[in-house]
Amino acid sequence: MSVPHERPGDPGRRGPIRAPQSLGGGIFLVFLAILALWLNRNLDQGTLNAMGPAMLPDWLAVGVGACGVALLAFAFTKQGDELDHWSLRGPFFVVLGILAFAVTIRPFELGALTIPGLGLVIAGPLAIIIGGFATPEMRLRELIILALCLTPFCMVLFGDLLNLPIPIFPQALRDLFPADWSQKDILRAMAAAMVVGAIVVYALGPKKRTQQVDRVVQPDEGIDG
Amino acid sequence: MGDFASNLSLGFGVALSLQNLGLAFLGCLVGSLIGVLPGVGPIATIAMLLPITFGLDPIGALIMLAGIYYGAQYGGSTTAILVNIPGEATSVVTALDGHQMARQGRAGIALGIAAIGSFFAGTVATLVIAALGAPLTGLALIFGPTEYFSLMTMGLVFAVVLARGSILKAIAMILVGVLLSTVGTDLETGEERMTFGLPFLVDGIDFAVLAMGVFGIAEILRNLDHTETRDVVRQAIGRLLPNRDDFRHSYKPVLRGTFIGAALGILPGNGAVLGPFAAYTLEKKLAKDPRRFGQGAIEGVAGPESANNAGAQTSFIPLLTLGIPPNAVMALMVGAMTIHGIVPGPQVMTRNPDLFWGMIASMWIGNLMLLVINLPLVGMWVRLLKVPYRLMFPAILMFCCIGIYSINSLPTDVMFIAFFGLVGYMLIKFGFEPAPMLLGFVLGKLMEENLRRALILSRGDMMTFIEHPISAVLLAIAAILLIVALLPSIRKGRDEVFTE
Repeated sequence: MSVPHERPGDPGRRGPIRAPQSLGGGIFLVFLAILALWLNRNLDQGTLNAMGPAMLPDWLAVGVGACGVALLAFAFTKQGDELDHWSLRGPFFVVLGILAFAVTIRPFELGALTIPGLGLVIAGPLAIIIGGFATPEMRLRELIILALCLTPFCMVLFGDLLNLPIPIFPQALRDLFPADWSQKDILRAMAAAMVVGAIVVYALGPKKRTQQVDRVVQPDEGIDG
Repeated sequence: MGDFASNLSLGFGVALSLQNLGLAFLGCLVGSLIGVLPGVGPIATIAMLLPITFGLDPIGALIMLAGIYYGAQYGGSTTAILVNIPGEATSVVTALDGHQMARQGRAGIALGIAAIGSFFAGTVATLVIAALGAPLTGLALIFGPTEYFSLMTMGLVFAVVLARGSILKAIAMILVGVLLSTVGTDLETGEERMTFGLPFLVDGIDFAVLAMGVFGIAEILRNLDHTETRDVVRQAIGRLLPNRDDFRHSYKPVLRGTFIGAALGILPGNGAVLGPFAAYTLEKKLAKDPRRFGQGAIEGVAGPESANNAGAQTSFIPLLTLGIPPNAVMALMVGAMTIHGIVPGPQVMTRNPDLFWGMIASMWIGNLMLLVINLPLVGMWVRLLKVPYRLMFPAILMFCCIGIYSINSLPTDVMFIAFFGLVGYMLIKFGFEPAPMLLGFVLGKLMEENLRRALILSRGDMMTFIEHPISAVLLAIAAILLIVALLPSIRKGRDEVFTE
């Protein structure tokens, strides 16, 4: 949803809505207020002497709603800012990446769906690679290399050095390793394997022509944009 | 005075142990490392790094956290100078002249004066905390629930006045924040409020989750909207140590900045944010040739940076003496302290004197560390800043996930950072500033508790807030501030300060 970019306060704007940003904000606040009041409909307000559970939330909701209504009123009377353009790709992949991490880090059940706990060794790369798609500039090979380097780093840092109780690898994999290996030995072996994998992917890839690191801006161009 | 010295020496005795020195060093290092990343401010940094302190004893953990905090602050300034992308509100001002200096090949000096100014400000602020700690703790003892409630109300009004943009929107954000804090079980009656029947909401919304979503994830989403034109300086970094001439220009701004920052930092309601703006405006007013500002004037770096650091440090005062976190960073500190079984407030100083004074001493050591760490590592930060954002944000994303998962080992927490990230993104698009919401959330629970107690004590009489003299004064200050901020002429001035 992109809005043709007009300067805020442009005299040429048509229609009764003069500040779309305030309109959106107002609707959001009013919605929030109604939601809170509805959720608390069965709770007791109590008296000032003995406040019930709903007293403060209800007052606050009324306050939020009042701010919302005021914003709505301003939206029709005062010139204000245009809504910025919204992108869908960014939020979609970022949220998907985070969700992928959340459902794979440890056993997860949602209704009929059961995902075994896969640990950081899977969840980390998933978050990086899926999340990485959020920008159109992404390059899959770079993301794979990044995932194969950062994940072992985090595994060693959080699992091995700091001993945080974060699941590292699927327990099913335990049997693949010699019985006398400790959890940490397996962790280190996996981390090493991933780093080797990263090097292999890097070496196999097509030779880069030029290192295009960053878009460089001329000093006199400025970066206001 | 004897107390002052003996307290400080007790503190340095604790902080100078080999282990604690190491932790302060490590904290500063990783704090700078994460804080340097563009778009990652101190709040997201601390929330991300909180878990690495879990295995430590409380003193070590707090010392390391304080190190992380200073590291993140200074990292933000480094980014502001080198890339002109201020990581957070307080380094916006540094970017103005600091980045110009960098373009003129004086990045090293800008960073150097920022570090030296910060170190000086940190030293003064440490002494201020040590001096004011004890008397203010005494003040806390005469505060009842009525006074606490009024003090926090004043803090919130401050936050409204200091927020950028529309005052109406800031008020709305504060109310939303307090409203969010009431989600979960009501402590008094045990009834569930606004939980949608979801079990993980029964204990309320976790502050770290909210902060990480609104400041970490939403920031990523916002940055993704802008096509990247990162302007990393390509000029030589140059000399790091300012010469005599630079010192001559900047020692007065450093002194003034320190004073302004320290004074504003003590105020509840995130006064520290205002410090750099006020310092910059002041320097510009005092300068013989104000046109130099914005063109790489060293005063424009020295003053705000000192104010920034002084404020960052004195904002510990309300937390340590009254138990009231004045801003979101301090709220994270509360969370960290609670995890280690310490309830912040006046009793910390009497019950855990070694912790209290050790932490204060380690603040000074942390500032020294920054000077030592950052100046030699500038080259590394420059390289790090050249990593394109398409690679940086997936890494930040994974660190956020791991960090938030490690705090409670709950996958639902991870999902919630995505949710709050979306909410934060929406708020940004609607022109709301998320910082006041976080402060409202932080103070919400405390406010409800104190409001309730105050009303029970007064048998339901609202007049109690005006009849208690201290409370009445605090509320009057709040009311005057709000009215003044709404006056058209002052509003104009306020907008000017923020747009500069």
